[in-house]
Amino acid sequence: MSDDISEHPDRPRRGQVLFAALFLICATLLIAALGEQTKWLKGKEFFAQPRFWPAIGVGGMVLFSALHFWHLPRKPRRLPRWMREADWFQWAESLFWGVLAVGLALWLGPLAAAPMVLLVVTVRVTWLYQHWTDRREAKVWASVFEWAAWFLGYVLLVPIIGYLPVTIAFTLMLTWRVGYRDRIMMLSAVLFAITVVVVFKSFLQVKIPGAALYEYLPSALRSFFILNF
Amino acid sequence: MDLIIDFLTQVQASSGVLARWDVVLALLVGSVGGVLIGAIPGVGPAVAIAILLPATFSMDPIVGLTVLLGIYGSSMYGGSIPAILINTPGTAVNALTTYDGYPMTTRGEARRALSLAYSSSFFGGLFSVMCLIFFAPVLAKVAPMFGSREIFLAALLGIILVVTAHRKHTLIAAAMACFGIWLNTIGLHPASYSKRYTFDQSWLSGGVNLIVVVLGLFALSQAFTLLHGDDEKVRLTRLKGSFFQGFRELARHPRIAGVSASFGVIMGMIPGVGEFTAQFMSYTYAQKSSKRPEDFGHGSSEGLIAAETANNAVPAAAMVPLLALGIPGEALTAMMLSVFYVHNVIPGPQLFQNDMDFVVALYLALLVLNVLVVIFLLVATNQLIKVVKIPNRFLGVCILILSFVGVYSLRNSLTDCILATGFGIFGFIMKRMQLPVVPIVLGMVLGGIMEVKLRSAMARVKSPLDFVDRPIAAILFGMIVLVLALHFRRVWLDFKERKTDEWQTSHASTSFAAILSRRRNFILTERGKKVRGRRKTFSRRLTDRD
Repeated sequence: MSDDISEHPDRPRRGQVLFAALFLICATLLIAALGEQTKWLKGKEFFAQPRFWPAIGVGGMVLFSALHFWHLPRKPRRLPRWMREADWFQWAESLFWGVLAVGLALWLGPLAAAPMVLLVVTVRVTWLYQHWTDRREAKVWASVFEWAAWFLGYVLLVPIIGYLPVTIAFTLMLTWRVGYRDRIMMLSAVLFAITVVVVFKSFLQVKIPGAALYEYLPSALRSFFILNF
Repeated sequence: MDLIIDFLTQVQASSGVLARWDVVLALLVGSVGGVLIGAIPGVGPAVAIAILLPATFSMDPIVGLTVLLGIYGSSMYGGSIPAILINTPGTAVNALTTYDGYPMTTRGEARRALSLAYSSSFFGGLFSVMCLIFFAPVLAKVAPMFGSREIFLAALLGIILVVTAHRKHTLIAAAMACFGIWLNTIGLHPASYSKRYTFDQSWLSGGVNLIVVVLGLFALSQAFTLLHGDDEKVRLTRLKGSFFQGFRELARHPRIAGVSASFGVIMGMIPGVGEFTAQFMSYTYAQKSSKRPEDFGHGSSEGLIAAETANNAVPAAAMVPLLALGIPGEALTAMMLSVFYVHNVIPGPQLFQNDMDFVVALYLALLVLNVLVVIFLLVATNQLIKVVKIPNRFLGVCILILSFVGVYSLRNSLTDCILATGFGIFGFIMKRMQLPVVPIVLGMVLGGIMEVKLRSAMARVKSPLDFVDRPIAAILFGMIVLVLALHFRRVWLDFKERKTDEWQTSHASTSFAAILSRRRNFILTERGKKVRGRRKTFSRRLTDRD
């Protein structure tokens, strides 16, 4: 598959620590919610319990992502000079984490506190090992939200304005947005949009509802448009 | 002998299905569409199948599956075109084709390379379908021996193989497989009707749909990747002459073609292994047994034959675990499984007993498909190669538009679209990190199978040993133990090798001047400062007053 990485052992380092940490944090939050979100039914067999498979899933997520995080090639970041030299800061920090972990264990009980402690440790380790390349990578990840917003805008407008008009407009605007200005590309975009609508909606009759705006069309055209475009 | 005669009667009966106009149309659309999709770098069969999946739900199962199988089986033919001409594999499995195909193009032998690729692919495809057609009666006898516990163990073996196949990245692959297993548990527990990870949200109580995840992870993420990237400048050379010479050249290497196709068939049948391993093994075999091993990677025809034959022998073989046991071995067959479920056709041992016509019709469809694709390629390659020129970002726009059809037509639900977008962003990040997404899909599918089968298997098991007291269960259990043992052995060897390398590279001169110089560097450099910083952390700093 395209994502088979066994062929490319030298994957990029940027963002790996951040991704592994975020995944581990999410997995830890999920395992913390295991007791609340699943039930253990009395008198039911162990393997048939509703909690069994979610526990395997989130347990595996936490275990393997923690090991992956641990095994990542990483380099400690260079802390500010005052932090490196101030003894009191390092003492205070160690004390703070210790008190937090013990406090959580006493407050929630050791079992419930374990995910919280893991969470805290992950955040702390991530802070120590992330670099400017990770932050730059995070910006790239954030940039993809623009395309996601385009897609969701398209999804929202189709049931209101109609599949054909929105598809044509959206393809044209997006083609313009990604940087094409020439007439051939614009024409190809319109042609592509019409083809998609005709093939999927008119020919294959996939389930896409007729738009609210089509109701205002003259009655002769209305049902034709609702059915085909 | 009786088996074969029975089977030939079956073939005769099933060939009637292929004469239906809608099946013929599906074959044409699948083969031509698959080649086109394969030839465009950046699309690939996974994206196409994910998008088309909901559209096939309204079709007859055999028609829908023929379209999807067509795309699966023929995309690798198309994928070899850009791999050979512009050194960019059209689909990921054509990556090995670039090793020998592109150097041939640079030597001015593009036509020879293409025709060799077509003929090897054709041989691989045909060989695997023929194997399976003759193997089907045996399979029909063996498949009913698979009860709940055997299917559970086979699914477990599949998931372990998928994870261990990601060499050096097994940990994250395992985490992703567990993520898939967890995703599949969201919603109502079918046996007890208790909610699992719904967070009291009504839209989660129905669970997370596999197709939404697949569309997000494969189609939307690919659209985002293409939209984010840049266009590449492509220069194509015009090809002249016929493409038939490849068949003659292939006939001169029957051993390599035969062994590679066999590797493809065997690896295809084992869930979770697939094209890469088959290609790797056959390429290594071809290189080791060649009279000119030094040519491999520099335009060797034998290398090209090994790579292309092996990858095209896989699709038909990959249908074996899917049809006989209901266990998909990789992402594409996992997607096809949902077509079966929508039509209430449950793949598994019963399918072979009750619906043999259907199975044989599928195999025959694959056979015809290979012939159609080769005819199409022999005639239309010169026109076809123009699709390579479609700019990447425009392709991104197209995939985004098509993804909408896939997600929205499923249930007309905005929530599905938002969820798919979320998975699209996740897939985009995974692609940038070069991390595997396939284990998520297989975790979802195989996790669901394992949950159901383990529950029903445990009802009849008194002690743990009862679980493996049947011969097939014992064999599968033995295979699981073997795979895990081999994996841990390899991890241990890798670790030792890495340590040896570290020791070898850190050798130091023992001359007095070098020692002094190292000492000075140590004291002056960052490391010295850091070590001193660490040592002083817990001890009070000495001052003049002490």
